[in-house]
Amino acid sequence: MEIFSSLLSGSGAWNPLAWLLAFVVAAVIAYLIWARGERSYKKGTEQTAPFISGNKEPPKGDLHVRAGNLYWGYTDALKGYYERIVPLHSGDMNDYVLWYLGITALIMVIVVVFS
Amino acid sequence: MKPTRAFNESLWAFHFNSGSCNGCEIEIVAAITPRYDPERFGIKLVGSPKHADLLIITGPVVKKMKDRLLRVYAQIPDPKVVMCVGTCGISGGVFYDSYNLEGPVDDVVPVDVYVPGCPPRPEAIIHGVVKALAKLERIEGVGQ
Repeated sequence: MEIFSSLLSGSGAWNPLAWLLAFVVAAVIAYLIWARGERSYKKGTEQTAPFISGNKEPPKGDLHVRAGNLYWGYTDALKGYYERIVPLHSGDMNDYVLWYLGITALIMVIVVVFS
Repeated sequence: MKPTRAFNESLWAFHFNSGSCNGCEIEIVAAITPRYDPERFGIKLVGSPKHADLLIITGPVVKKMKDRLLRVYAQIPDPKVVMCVGTCGISGGVFYDSYNLEGPVDDVVPVDVYVPGCPPRPEAIIHGVVKALAKLERIEGVGQ
C-alpha cells in the first residue's frame, strides 16, 4: 500500500496512480452507460434536439448567460457614471489620442504650475 | 401478454393532448391505476417522447398544437406506433369542420390504432395498447 500513500496532507492521502485508477474506472462505467443508449436516433433531426414539451428549441445564443448578466447589479448601481462614460467610448482612435494629448497637457500644466 | 422475441422490451407510452377536453385523459389515468395495473406488463406512461415506443394522442389537433404534435412525433425513436384515443381525435367529434382545427389526428400524423369513444373506457384503451404492441412487434419482426 506504500504506492497509494505517497503524499500525506491534513486532508488525507493523494497519489496520482490512485486518481488515474479512479478515472479509468469512472470512464469504463460511463462508457458502459453510454453503450446501452438508444442507437437508432437520427442525427441532425428533431430526435437529437432537446424535448421542451413540444416547443421549438430556441437559438443557442438566446439560452446563454451573457457576461453582462453577471455584473448587472454593478452597472445598474453605477448607472449615473456609465451614462456619462459610455458615450465617450466611441471606438475611434482619433478621439482616444485627443483625450490622451489633452490629459497629458493638463498634467503638464499642473506640474509646471505647482512645481 | 408476454412480448414475443420480435419486441423483447417493455412498451413505454407518451401521452400527447392535442386539444382534448380532458375526458380521455381521465380515462387514460384510470387505465394506469392499480385496478388494471398495466405496469406489471411493462406498459407505462413516460415523460419524454425520446423514451417512448407508443404515442397516445387525445383531442382533435387545434391549430396551436399541430407544430408541437409534429415535433413530438419526430422525436420518438423508430420504430414507433401511434394510437388515437377518443372521437375528437378520430373525426373531430363535435368540433368536426371547426375553423380552429388542423385535425383530425390522421391528417397530421399517421395513426396505427384508433380507440373510439367519448371518452373510451379504460378497458378499450388497454385493448388499443395491446393492438399497438402487436403492430410494433410486426414492425420489429419485419426489421429483423
